Amino acid sequence: MNARALFAYFVIIVVGAVWAMPLYAMVVGSLKSLSEVMSTSVLTPPTAIDVSSLISAAEHLAAPLLNTAIVVIPVALAATFVGAMGAYALLRLVGSLRDGLITAIAIATYLPYQVALVPLVDFVKSLGLYNTLPGLALAFFVFFVPFATLMMYIFMTALPKQVVEAAEIDGASELALFRRVVLPLTGPGFVSTAIFLTIQGWNNLFIPLVLTRGYTKHVMLTLFSFTGQTGNVYNQMYAAALIASLPPLLVFVALGRYFIRGLLALGTGGKA
Amino acid sequence: MKISLLFFLAPALIFAGILYYFVLWNFYIALTNYSILHLRPQFVGLATFASLFSDPDFVSSLERTLLWVVILVAAGNLMAILIASAIYNIDSPRIRNITTAFFIYPLAVSLVASGIIWRWLFDVDRGIDAMLGAKILWLQGPNAFWSTALVSVWVYTGLGVLFYLAMFYNVDKSQIESAYVDGANTIDVMLRIVIPQSRQALIIATIFYTLFSIQMFDLPYTMLFLNPFTMTLVIYTYFKFATLYFATASAAAIVILALSAAIVIPYSMYGFRKWLKL
Repeated sequence: MNARALFAYFVIIVVGAVWAMPLYAMVVGSLKSLSEVMSTSVLTPPTAIDVSSLISAAEHLAAPLLNTAIVVIPVALAATFVGAMGAYALLRLVGSLRDGLITAIAIATYLPYQVALVPLVDFVKSLGLYNTLPGLALAFFVFFVPFATLMMYIFMTALPKQVVEAAEIDGASELALFRRVVLPLTGPGFVSTAIFLTIQGWNNLFIPLVLTRGYTKHVMLTLFSFTGQTGNVYNQMYAAALIASLPPLLVFVALGRYFIRGLLALGTGGKA
Repeated sequence: MKISLLFFLAPALIFAGILYYFVLWNFYIALTNYSILHLRPQFVGLATFASLFSDPDFVSSLERTLLWVVILVAAGNLMAILIASAIYNIDSPRIRNITTAFFIYPLAVSLVASGIIWRWLFDVDRGIDAMLGAKILWLQGPNAFWSTALVSVWVYTGLGVLFYLAMFYNVDKSQIESAYVDGANTIDVMLRIVIPQSRQALIIATIFYTLFSIQMFDLPYTMLFLNPFTMTLVIYTYFKFATLYFATASAAAIVILALSAAIVIPYSMYGFRKWLKL
């Protein structure tokens, strides 16, 4: 092994160990029995695997997990579709109108959504949707659409111009161009955007915290409620954290390259 | 503009418009005395801002958030350069991709789960201290701020790794090869050739780390709730909202807005224009 590779692996193993520590602690911690939790540190592996805290956490989290899935997944898909439509129109426009609209959408994408806290809650309350799943879905949708429009626009600008022009010469309508040419060609971009938004919505604590009461409407609220437990029973909290994190982590493992492509697009306009 | 395009554009514009409407509405609320004491808001001009800036809790949360920006930008960029440099020097593309994904995984884990995990890792009786037999007392007093800031570096570094690697892969290979022929070592090549040509990654990573620091909420709130040593601007805003001081919450939100707009507006106007070749 040459010096170059030695340096690379040394850094990756040392830094990687720190990076892996929380994941390791969560997994071993959630597999411990109560008696071991009372006597060992979070980094000590269990002597015997005990799944009882995983089972009780799963029972506790089942309903919130379902609530989160039925809100977040359809909203992410719908926002991506609306974003794709908007992005298509931007792609077909020219001049300063388009530039202005893209800038406005980019600003809406990157501004912290927390600054809309008071108006958002007033707005959702005025619609009678406070403390409901549709209210939560609406809030996510409002924040997701600018994201989706910007991301889909970035992916669409990567298409070769000739493809759209050729279809246009054939006399295709805007609807046909969108449905038959642009949307199918940006399929991977669509998946990236939808996955990115699903993970964002799944992991969000702030929006459900301000728009609902209690701890059952979103899985992050339920997970957060575990932190109120007293005593050293970290196996319960770690089991809950593991189960709540599993859906986004599995998506990340299976479709990570799409997630990464989305992150790159947001950072560099996909041009880096 | 074709009418049919308006049909495509309208839904996206309506929802983006709602966001802008929220921001304007928030400005209005910040200029009133809307709170549990005044449920019919009256216009009070800048009085709410004046009381905001004379609240020591607000001022310290503002200072703390700005310090958080400095820590995450400095440590995040350093760690990202170190990790990206290591990954870049692996020959197998397969191992490169796996390690890149590995360093990004904290971004797919919720901040609530991360907060819970790290809270226990920092526990005096059950965490790293117990393992090492040391007494670092990670979450005691002012230590809590530094420990939480370090956790945020763990969470967000991966994004910078991604940006740096993307730029590293663009560096001209022949330049690197001729440097090796001239007898340069890996560290020379990285420091003199590869990293200096990746300034754009530094800019983008700095922008994102700054925005993440300004928005810091889930992580410190899950780890320590309303701890005075980790109260950020967003936690302050949420606390004022939860205790029904709506105008104060809105005024604090305007401060967050101003801080982020100083970054977001130039980035949206120039950065994107350049990358999208508008």
